[in-house]
Amino acid sequence: MRPPARLRRIGCPARRAAGVLALLAAFGGRAGAVLAATLVIHVQTPDGHALSGAVVTARPLDAPARRPAPVHAVMDQVNRAFAPDLLVVSVGSTVAFPNSDSVSHQIYSFSAAKRFRLPLYRGKPYPPLQFDQSGVITLGCNIHDDMLAYLLVTDAPYFGRTDAQGAWSADVPRGRYRVSIWHPRLRESEADLERELTVGDADRADLQLRLLKSLQPAPIADRPHSWDY
Amino acid sequence: MPKLPHIRRLLRTRCRSAALITLLALTASGRAADWEMSLDTRLVSSDAGRSFMDGGLGTTRYGRQTSAIQLGRARFALTASLGELWSAHLDASAWDDKDRSPVGVTEAYLQYRPYPRAGYRFRLKAGAFYPPISLENRAAGWESPYSLSYSAINTWLGVEVRTIGLEGQLEWLGTRTGHDFDLGVTAGAFGWNEGAGVVLADNGFMLHDRQTPVFGRVGPPGAGALPFQQFDGRAGVYAGVEGRWLDRVVLRVLRYDNRADPTAMDFVSGAIAWNTRFNSAGLRVESGTGWTAILQWLDGETIIAPPGLQLQWPFRAQFALLSKRFGRHTLSARYDRFRIDSNSPPPEFEPYGYQSGHAWTAAWMFDADAHWRLALEWLRVRSSSYNRADLGGPPLATETQLQLAVRYALGSRLH
Repeated sequence: MRPPARLRRIGCPARRAAGVLALLAAFGGRAGAVLAATLVIHVQTPDGHALSGAVVTARPLDAPARRPAPVHAVMDQVNRAFAPDLLVVSVGSTVAFPNSDSVSHQIYSFSAAKRFRLPLYRGKPYPPLQFDQSGVITLGCNIHDDMLAYLLVTDAPYFGRTDAQGAWSADVPRGRYRVSIWHPRLRESEADLERELTVGDADRADLQLRLLKSLQPAPIADRPHSWDY
Repeated sequence: MPKLPHIRRLLRTRCRSAALITLLALTASGRAADWEMSLDTRLVSSDAGRSFMDGGLGTTRYGRQTSAIQLGRARFALTASLGELWSAHLDASAWDDKDRSPVGVTEAYLQYRPYPRAGYRFRLKAGAFYPPISLENRAAGWESPYSLSYSAINTWLGVEVRTIGLEGQLEWLGTRTGHDFDLGVTAGAFGWNEGAGVVLADNGFMLHDRQTPVFGRVGPPGAGALPFQQFDGRAGVYAGVEGRWLDRVVLRVLRYDNRADPTAMDFVSGAIAWNTRFNSAGLRVESGTGWTAILQWLDGETIIAPPGLQLQWPFRAQFALLSKRFGRHTLSARYDRFRIDSNSPPPEFEPYGYQSGHAWTAAWMFDADAHWRLALEWLRVRSSSYNRADLGGPPLATETQLQLAVRYALGSRLH
């Protein structure tokens, strides 16, 4: 078993690799100057507010994309809801689906990237599942129809979610990148939100991305589970 | 008869063992067995006429004769998984009215719920349950989270309409496949509904929260509702569609026909088969800021045709409800309109069953915690009724009822 903190640091292998490169840059002089810079992506709603929680992926266009190391992640079920409501993992990662509730759940996905069913259970009766194909996987519970969460499996070497200020950053080698945005409540196609940028000589490259259409409204949070919804 | 007590004892033991085995089996195999019980008591002030539950023609649950302290409802419900894809649901209540039995079952059914596949979800229900019409009665026990008394439409459904049969539902889960909306179709077939319609012709629309137990009766013998009878050998059907936009908007349309043979009579009880059919539609809109608006519409007719007669009562009702949630408080207002016409042909013409009215409801619900709920409701119904005047009452009446309810709930999910 790995410690839980390790489980939550999704995407850290890529960052750690970049961090090692940055370290090389600090001590290695010229070679380092070519390799390391910070890529910062700012995501905004159409009215200019910061969008937190958006998934950002960055793929290098010059060098062949190096696959990020798979991780072990956890998608818990607490108070008849998935926790977290969105998990981003690299291809090949495993995800455990423990049920911390006192009621049983019956978790399923009919998404093309991974179809699976976990028959009625509480606790941790099933081993973690491996996700070998990239794509969005919509998770549901066949007992509690209002339970909904997403698992995004990506083959991008750099990825993560925007913070409260709508920003995501990663230390990356210099070069050209294709940056994409995804959010479960996005109303526009991902292709429309793709951008290319060059991480050049400066220590930092910033890109601001503004959605063209506002997100779908968030699910109503304070409605009792026992209601017909 | 020396052997009878022995047989009775044996039967009792057998029944107990069976109940115990069932319970043990549910505990052991159905890991998802959930139970819930609640007790709802009321403090009532009313100037309404004698209520339907007492055999009168009042439009509210309590009349001016009823005492101030009342049992609103005592309820027990159980949901248990039976294996992987089946579940059993039971909802039983006691109301302390003059019903056929002190405790009645309002819903009891088995549900088959295979896993959704390729964006489609199928559900099958078998047993006794409500058809998917009301957008107001969405809380446990088919209660309304907005008010104590249901709208005129849903009060009538609670009294006379229940599916005792089968219902299939197929949904396209658009919201789980990258779209903004879901679409569903429902179809049901049922029996034991020949008595549905008689309450509309005799009493008209009412606004209360009494649900008739399955195979049971609301009200005193001879005057109450006894809708769940089967003697004409014909099954009723309904079919409906439902559209949802995210989790914010629900639109439901349903056609219902109990297909009773209006010429049929049960020669043992003297009951007549009521052919009741209607169209219904409903729209519910919710905002992320706690607002809810509900519109429901009902339009139908009920027909009887005993030898030499053809009597027809077209009925229609609508309501609009607006509600706002402030944390644990919910404030709601509702306006109801209803009308029943009588089409008895000459020479026997008399508008028996004619009723026309409207009602205002204002309610405050306070969910103190998971166990306690406090509710205050004011209800005013203004109606004209031929039947009431025929029995010496006022043709036009305004009835006002004030209720304060305290409910305590316990359950495996309530902590």
